Amino acid sequence: MNLVNVNKVDGAVGLTMSRLEAWEKANGAAIFTEDMVLAGMLHGALALSKVAHARILGYEISAALALPGVKAVLTGDDFEPRYMGLVVKDETVLAKSKVRYIGEPVAAVAAVDAETARAAARLIEVIYEELPAVFTIEQAVAAHAPVLHEDFDSYFKIYDASTRRTPNELALSTLRRGDIVQGFAESDVILDQVYETSAQYHAYLEPAAALASVDGRGKVTVWSSTQSVFRTQANVHESLGIPMAKIRAVSPRVGGGFGGKSEAMVQPIAVALAMKTGRPVRIALSREEDMTAMRSRHPVRTRIRTGAKRDGTFVARAIETWFDGGAYADDTAAVMNFALFFGTGPYRFDHVDLVGHAVYTNKLRAGAFRGFGNPQVTFASECQIDDLAAELGIDPVDLRLKNLVHAGDRWIGGQVVATSGLEECIEKVATASRWRDRAAKPVEAPDGKRRGLGIALTAHISGFLSTSAIVRLAEDGSVSLNTGAVDLGQGSDTALAQMCAAGLGLTVDAVNVVAADTDASPYNSGTNASRVTYMVGRAIGQATDVVREKMFKLAADMLECNLADLELRPGGFIGVEGTDHSVSFAQIAAKSIWFADGGGPVIGTGSVMHNEPLDPKHTLLAGFLSFDNVGALTFGAQVVDVEIDETTGKVDVVEAWCAHDVGRAINPGAVEGQIQGGFVQGLGYALTEEMVWDGGRLTNPSFKHYKIPSSLDVPYAIHAMIVEVADPLHPFGAKGIGEPPLIGAAAAIPNAIAAAAGARVRKLPVTPERMLRALRFGADGVDV
Amino acid sequence: MVAGMNAGLPKPSQVVSLQDIPGLRGMIVEADGAVRIAAMTVHAAVAAESRLAGGLAVVREAALQIAHPAIRNMGTLGGSLADADPNADYPCALLAAGADIELAGPRGRRICPVDAFFLGRFTTALAAGEIIVGVKLPPPALEETSTYLKFSRVDGDYATVSVAVRVGWRDGACTAIRIALGSCGGTPIRVPSAERALVGTKLDVAALRIAAGAYVAACDPPSDFRGTADYRRMIIPGLLERAVRNALNADRGIRS
Amino acid sequence: MSTDRTTLSFHVNGDPQAVAIPIHRTLLEVLRDELALTGAKKGCNTGTCGACNVLVDDVMIRSCLRLAVSVAECKVTTVEGLARNGMASAVQQAFLDAGAIQCGFCMTGMIVSASALLAQNPAPTRDEIRIAISGNLCRCSGYVKVVDAIELAASRFRQGNAAEAAAMEIRI
Repeated sequence: MNLVNVNKVDGAVGLTMSRLEAWEKANGAAIFTEDMVLAGMLHGALALSKVAHARILGYEISAALALPGVKAVLTGDDFEPRYMGLVVKDETVLAKSKVRYIGEPVAAVAAVDAETARAAARLIEVIYEELPAVFTIEQAVAAHAPVLHEDFDSYFKIYDASTRRTPNELALSTLRRGDIVQGFAESDVILDQVYETSAQYHAYLEPAAALASVDGRGKVTVWSSTQSVFRTQANVHESLGIPMAKIRAVSPRVGGGFGGKSEAMVQPIAVALAMKTGRPVRIALSREEDMTAMRSRHPVRTRIRTGAKRDGTFVARAIETWFDGGAYADDTAAVMNFALFFGTGPYRFDHVDLVGHAVYTNKLRAGAFRGFGNPQVTFASECQIDDLAAELGIDPVDLRLKNLVHAGDRWIGGQVVATSGLEECIEKVATASRWRDRAAKPVEAPDGKRRGLGIALTAHISGFLSTSAIVRLAEDGSVSLNTGAVDLGQGSDTALAQMCAAGLGLTVDAVNVVAADTDASPYNSGTNASRVTYMVGRAIGQATDVVREKMFKLAADMLECNLADLELRPGGFIGVEGTDHSVSFAQIAAKSIWFADGGGPVIGTGSVMHNEPLDPKHTLLAGFLSFDNVGALTFGAQVVDVEIDETTGKVDVVEAWCAHDVGRAINPGAVEGQIQGGFVQGLGYALTEEMVWDGGRLTNPSFKHYKIPSSLDVPYAIHAMIVEVADPLHPFGAKGIGEPPLIGAAAAIPNAIAAAAGARVRKLPVTPERMLRALRFGADGVDV
Repeated sequence: MVAGMNAGLPKPSQVVSLQDIPGLRGMIVEADGAVRIAAMTVHAAVAAESRLAGGLAVVREAALQIAHPAIRNMGTLGGSLADADPNADYPCALLAAGADIELAGPRGRRICPVDAFFLGRFTTALAAGEIIVGVKLPPPALEETSTYLKFSRVDGDYATVSVAVRVGWRDGACTAIRIALGSCGGTPIRVPSAERALVGTKLDVAALRIAAGAYVAACDPPSDFRGTADYRRMIIPGLLERAVRNALNADRGIRS
Repeated sequence: MSTDRTTLSFHVNGDPQAVAIPIHRTLLEVLRDELALTGAKKGCNTGTCGACNVLVDDVMIRSCLRLAVSVAECKVTTVEGLARNGMASAVQQAFLDAGAIQCGFCMTGMIVSASALLAQNPAPTRDEIRIAISGNLCRCSGYVKVVDAIELAASRFRQGNAAEAAAMEIRI
């Protein structure tokens, strides 16, 4: 374990250091949204719909308004119909004229304290005309099914939805390569299976919260637990019609997001209450409200077919996948397309046919969640590949190695794979887990237990999306770094500071990381898609290049020499090579600011967006995204050792080895933490976590019934192994790590289970009951 | 109760705390080896009681597996028993131990044997105005061992199925046995006829299977987040067998 | 809404406090809303996540499940009370050095749990550490570096000489 005191750091990239804000988090001083108090602050509470699908005929709010201490009650009638959403604009600030899921916010209250606000919210009555509802994909696409969004065609969409076939479908996408019919005809062996996954809850420890305040000029500031201040600003702007110049979105410390806080939910409501009352309003959801009203991971049903030659060469891959998107579109179309994008995994298939459907149902909306559609499809793909290996009598590692995609190959859609450390990842986990030894001589399990190893490979991207950075030289020679990226706790502030420092030869404590603020920061789409280290790092590299260039020019002037003779020296100096003549950054700053020939304040900017031209006939997400604009491909491999109790079916993960190619580890300790944390979130997804609906009612919205792993549910050792194959576009070669570890766990664990049990469960989570039924009756779990 | 208040359930009009009443905390071992645990003793204190050994270890093991450390510092024996949650650990363990529940009320004190105390889901023999003041555990015989086996989905969860066993073993045969099955109905249950049939046997697999069959038939398991009723019936035999084995191996420190 | 009120007198982090509160307030609410000690967090408000853990008379409890009136005259210690003169306690420093802290929301409760463990058991096994924090849910770290941190705190505490030990006392 490398222990480093932050004040002694230099050569900042590649160094393990604890987070810049770790001390305040350790001593209770860190401010999260619900910790904030403003003078005169009111507390907000929500009234949530109790019916799954209904027209709203009216509201009875007089009892709520009459409660002493209540200052405002808002309903959908108080707003113009304005729609927000990233991919489809189908959501309003509060339900308007219709509700579409149990838990949808229908009204909001502001009162002098939280208890009063909640009591008032309970007194609000909504008069509904209930409509028939659909709770499953089958019900939603059936003929004459009740329609959730009658105005779907009129909603603004970033993609072309015209391929949809039924009124509740919101997207139908296909990706093809070669000729699938021919591919299967050429195959010696074809497997055809169905895999299912359940809805997973993000379960960030900090429930969603927002605090909004309006100033004397009518400008609103909203502090919130968010993954993107710019998406918060856009959501408030779109749903309330306030110009962006009048909306400032900032974030205090955020207690985890995992995709659930990329898009807004409570923020527009808090803003509306603040504007109505003229006082600051803070809303903090209870855990139950957060589970009921925010968003989940998509439950997905996938039919997958793989065709291969007897010698193990992969020939054909076909998928038809159904994404249950819940009542609002959120990121669904993008998530489903992402799943298709990874439908082949990191393998070569000449013939590919991938079809995805996304459907509205009257349940909680499903949206972005660490992996973004990839976990669901990788689970199906990696499991089927293991079954194929068994069918062909080939070792699962060898079968994968035989068909791997390499650097220089083309991904589906034509993007060239720039780099790949995948073989090294496989080598590391296979060696560390003694895969080959154990294949030859399996570990003996104690009486009544079974033991087995499983492997899975991951392919994901560090998503491109638009990014910018500003680096400013301060008068004392330190720099200010402003990127607009929100740190959710994954350590981006620290990694970005490390990259900025390294780009200028400074120590990390000479970098002032400015908190994301739509007033002051340059645009960053958000903290998601495993993209911040990668994309913001690239923008920072551009910005520090500019700053260095400007400083060098000034230094050449001050030292009266040629540019070519200068070198950057650690600690904030530029000197003449081979001499001890130098100037400090502070001196350069002074020159730039005070002297007529100084050129003005030294500032550098970077702005990155992929600009490969869009071929409208050849895109991801039906006209929206050129394949080359999706992201930088990243790869990983995981091996998991499980033990199964034959009496109860309970699966325990004994040990895990997770190797991920991150290009370059800016902060190795932080990368390890992401790998371990992502693995455990994937362990929960694979074994214990399932949101359960009874019709439209979520039956387990609490930690008492919805179980995430505790310290006693995880292996003693989760070996995080870092592989580094430098990315060509990043100043330090780095790529992202946020999502891949979860994707790996969700596939490696089921593969280990199948190896140990000799029986496969094709539905996640593999609960003890599903496992026991598989052991005893050969059931595959899909209908359990 | 506080969790319910936090969730917006109606507040009780009055709450009476027992925390300052003297004599309601702690454990005493009497001259004959009987043990009395006072009602306000927290789970953590019971879990740390090495004097609860042999035939009484089952009570300590149950306390050790309740929820999480912070909850074990707050929850009390009396509180758990009065709550009578079908999925709780103490009721099942005390049923196997053969405890007597000591009650006090406006009409004085009385003893209720544990076999008559749990009447249904969240329902006990407590009369209006009565509180639990303690639990008396019978003196353990020298040849007795005991154990509490809890199977749950994840650590700290309520039991999916729990089995508590108190067993006497001498000269290669069972001299006495009490088996309680928890989380499989409104209350934990024993099947005395099955227990009697095990006395004198070697508690071999075949004998235990027959006993387990009786427990499966007698219980009324729920279908809930932790599993279906069917699933619980499937796993009871194996868990019962495992619990008996663990109890017999307890003095050798072997567990499975 | 008429509710009975009372004045609660107790000690928090060594300071005597007296606050006027409705009788049904929880200790968590009183600490956060009346005393501005926001280190203890409201992660679930039902006693299942551990983010609200504090010490009452040196015993670790869930402040969201404890009625404030029941801690009258008691000594309450929150995470804010662990550092001395701006210097981290041994447990806090170990959490920093082992890289255990990610989003931080669970960490105040985690550090309280760890401090309570080491005050009672300065040489815990890895198993005992895992049990001690089994009631603290963390979604970011996977618990690995948290256990590392607690082991580190314990080993430093044992290895330090008397003077160091006093400076780095576990301190609850």
